[in-house]
Amino acid sequence: MSLVPQVLRSLKNLPPFPMVAQRALLLLNKPEVSIQELVDVVKFDPAITANILRISNSAYFGLRREIHSLHQALLLLGTQELLKIIIASGATRLFSAPTPGYFTERQGLWRHSVSCALMVDLLGRELSLPDQATGFTAGLMHDIGKVVLSLFVEQKFHEIMEVVEQQGVSFQAAEKIILGVDHAEMGGEMARMWDFPDRLRLAITYHHLDKPEAYTDDLILLVYLADILTLMFGQDLGTDGLAYTGYPEVLRHFHLREKSLQRVLLQFGSAWDEAQIFFGLMGKQDGVQRANRG
Amino acid sequence: MQIVVGVADMKISSQPQQLVVTHALGSCIGVAVYDPMVKVGGLLHYMLPESSLDEEKGRQNPCMFADTGIPLLFRECYKLGAVKHRMRVKVAGGSQVLGGPEHFNIGRRNYAALRKIFLKNNVLIDNEDVGGTKARTLYLEIATGKVWVKIIGQNQVIKDL
Repeated sequence: MSLVPQVLRSLKNLPPFPMVAQRALLLLNKPEVSIQELVDVVKFDPAITANILRISNSAYFGLRREIHSLHQALLLLGTQELLKIIIASGATRLFSAPTPGYFTERQGLWRHSVSCALMVDLLGRELSLPDQATGFTAGLMHDIGKVVLSLFVEQKFHEIMEVVEQQGVSFQAAEKIILGVDHAEMGGEMARMWDFPDRLRLAITYHHLDKPEAYTDDLILLVYLADILTLMFGQDLGTDGLAYTGYPEVLRHFHLREKSLQRVLLQFGSAWDEAQIFFGLMGKQDGVQRANRG
Repeated sequence: MQIVVGVADMKISSQPQQLVVTHALGSCIGVAVYDPMVKVGGLLHYMLPESSLDEEKGRQNPCMFADTGIPLLFRECYKLGAVKHRMRVKVAGGSQVLGGPEHFNIGRRNYAALRKIFLKNNVLIDNEDVGGTKARTLYLEIATGKVWVKIIGQNQVIKDL
């Protein structure tokens, strides 16, 4: 029996996308963003402003001066970095529920999502692409469908895993076979309901490259590759493990050799340590402390 | 008491109350060694096969790479009285994504690098759980030398090595 009607029904209760992050998303496409526009986005949310200052002062950015104001953060970090911080701070709430279908640890999905966002940035740097908050955001949101699908994956986990093991297909393909819908499609549907910019929505929908449309935008390929590399790095791995498909044509497309991938992983190791502040956005109890992922 | 080994990290212990653990190995590899006579054990979690990739990083943190981390793991155990021919060696990790094995194969290269070092130095692997697409957590109990792997999944499958 297909669970699709049930899954779609559960979308009716989808919480709204956090307003601050929503307004920041609208700025992603603008070539120039003024200080005033950014200040307007966050000014009614003191918690986010506090987070921005905390993150700006973290080891991840390694600034020599302490930042005390939004204006200062903008001057020293630039618009794109600031947008990333605003979106990450604003979107945190969506990831706050546990996703036991995928992660045994409460913050697993959040940690994986932040890791993937950082990986997009590092890959972009290795490929000398311009640093855009869009890539980071797509990395952060790529698995958002898991928030809703977790409940159904949890019910049918053994059947899904059986398909993965017996047919040798990816976890995503097995979700589609057993549930009638997979987490990427689900995320795309949520992005539609939340009025995400098209590029972002498509990156979520196609991040496992299971449709030809995936190849229309480098952003999608970048998010795909960042996701795969994040899985390879390990840590915060989910119940789906590394059961996703590696497509060598993506490496060829970006002229990436294995050595480059190794280099990116090496850099990611340090970035991951320094970025613990992002993981900590979720709340104090597991906080900045390395969570128990066993 | 749990002692956590991070990514590109290593812990050596002779404290019987300690349980040494490394979480969520993907394509990385965890190596657990133990000398039952003196009850000294060590666990290494390395990321990449060869330090030639970045020799500076390899010097700063030898645990990043197989070729710098594995010799260090043994040397540090010798310091606490372990002797090579008595040491039990167990290996876990080296997972891969699906698809062509000739690409995205850092997991396999990590394993190959370890095998090469062990062959050169006459070290035998007593037991291993490597490859596939699974995420693994590796444990080493210092009191007994018992080593096991937890496969991350809904049932948290436990496998003794």
